[in-house]
Amino acid sequence: MKEVLRFDNVSMRYHSKQGETVALENVNFSVAEGEFVAIIGPSGCGKTTVLSLAAGLLTPTQGRVVSDGSSFGYMLQKDELFPWRTIEKNIFLPLEIKRTNTPEQRARAISLAEKYGLKQFLKNYPSSLSGGMRQRAALIRTLAVNPDVLLLDEPFSALDYQTRLSVCDDVYKIIRNEKKTALLITHDISEAISVADKIFVLSKRPASVVAEHVLTFPESEPLKRRENVEFSRWFEILWKELNA
Amino acid sequence: MKNDREFSPQHLAYLRGVRNKSILVNVARISILFVFLLLWELSARQAWVNPFITSSPSRICKAIADLHRNGTLFHHVGTTLKETLIGFAIAVGLGYSVALALWWSEALRRILEPYLVVLNALPKIALGPLIIIWCGTGSEAIVFMTVLIGLIVAIMNMLSGFMATDENKLLLLKSMGASKLQILTKLVIPSSLPNFISMLKINVGMAWIGSIMGEYIVSKAGIGYLIVYGGQVFKLDLVMSAVFILCMLAAIMYAFVALLERLVIKNR
Repeated sequence: MKEVLRFDNVSMRYHSKQGETVALENVNFSVAEGEFVAIIGPSGCGKTTVLSLAAGLLTPTQGRVVSDGSSFGYMLQKDELFPWRTIEKNIFLPLEIKRTNTPEQRARAISLAEKYGLKQFLKNYPSSLSGGMRQRAALIRTLAVNPDVLLLDEPFSALDYQTRLSVCDDVYKIIRNEKKTALLITHDISEAISVADKIFVLSKRPASVVAEHVLTFPESEPLKRRENVEFSRWFEILWKELNA
Repeated sequence: MKNDREFSPQHLAYLRGVRNKSILVNVARISILFVFLLLWELSARQAWVNPFITSSPSRICKAIADLHRNGTLFHHVGTTLKETLIGFAIAVGLGYSVALALWWSEALRRILEPYLVVLNALPKIALGPLIIIWCGTGSEAIVFMTVLIGLIVAIMNMLSGFMATDENKLLLLKSMGASKLQILTKLVIPSSLPNFISMLKINVGMAWIGSIMGEYIVSKAGIGYLIVYGGQVFKLDLVMSAVFILCMLAAIMYAFVALLERLVIKNR
């Protein structure tokens, strides 16, 4: 499989007047095309730094972030829909930014929104949508510019438990359906197990990759996976590694 | 609106309670004004107070009617209104632009910060003599004073609005590869709209302070002129009339801004 993203001995330091923080130390991992990769780590270990590096928003202090020229779409913890724009206008936002706001691109974005159940909400403002629907709209916004790789920064953590399970299921299906590569960052072990093909475990700060697991489940859907006996076995393994 | 029959009796009682309360508030508001005017008029007529010093509602009406009759009412009101509106527009426009520049450049912001703080604390009336010398004794001086008073407040209000832009939304736009100009037009300006409205509200007050203060220092006409003149010749009816007109104008201008707010901030 083709590699779309690789971290080569990546280190990252932050500087402030109070001192220097080593966020990442020699991080190595790679993501292949079509894979759903999860990175888990204890909170505050620099997970978001990994995504910012992958998206090219930061440059590593040492090492290299190699990408094959794939385009990236970023999805954040909260939906961050602009309250003064309708759902439709929110979905067009990346088109406007990338100056590809053509009728064809808009039609593509709209058909995507309609395909995933947002049709009736297109002219509504975000405030009238439920948390789950808003997060779905945020995903469609990310997909509007047809990125090759999705970077997901704990995209479900702001939702309540019930909604989180169903939105996770939802987002997983849409990403699979659209045949996207995904890199998910989370501190939630069960979330990682329920969606990922491959999991990398980060240590406490300065973070480096301490384990890599390839997951094979007979079922692919997150909710089904959670019912599988393998699920709790994986949970135990990852739990121990995270708290090592 | 739903039909009354669709609600439970408890809900209807609740709605009635809400309505009664708002009626009570409105009645109380109007009665306070009415009682105040009545007592004022009565104490002046009964000579409980000296109407020469306190004036009275009827004397104010008469003074305004006199001004109207000799044809100067609209001249004075128009002069002040024009000065206020021009000063207001310049202060708001210039303040917004300067705030944009300060948002754009962190270096500029840090360099100019102490100057802004000092200028904000400075009582602008201290510049009165300078203004007369620089701008002469015409309307320009008064407009200048109005701008001075409103400008710094406008800058500081708008800048804090621009700086309060949500970090995550900024990150989102950056991840889409947005340029600084795009960040400004797509996010910073629309998200600071509530700050813009509150800046307008504050500046309505500032503009009236500026124009009246300007007219105190130097003027040949206007509401501030009437107040100063009335005070000098002890025509307190005239002073009171001018203050009354000022109240009305300020309220109308504020109402316009409030209306604008209702139009713009529907969806938040």
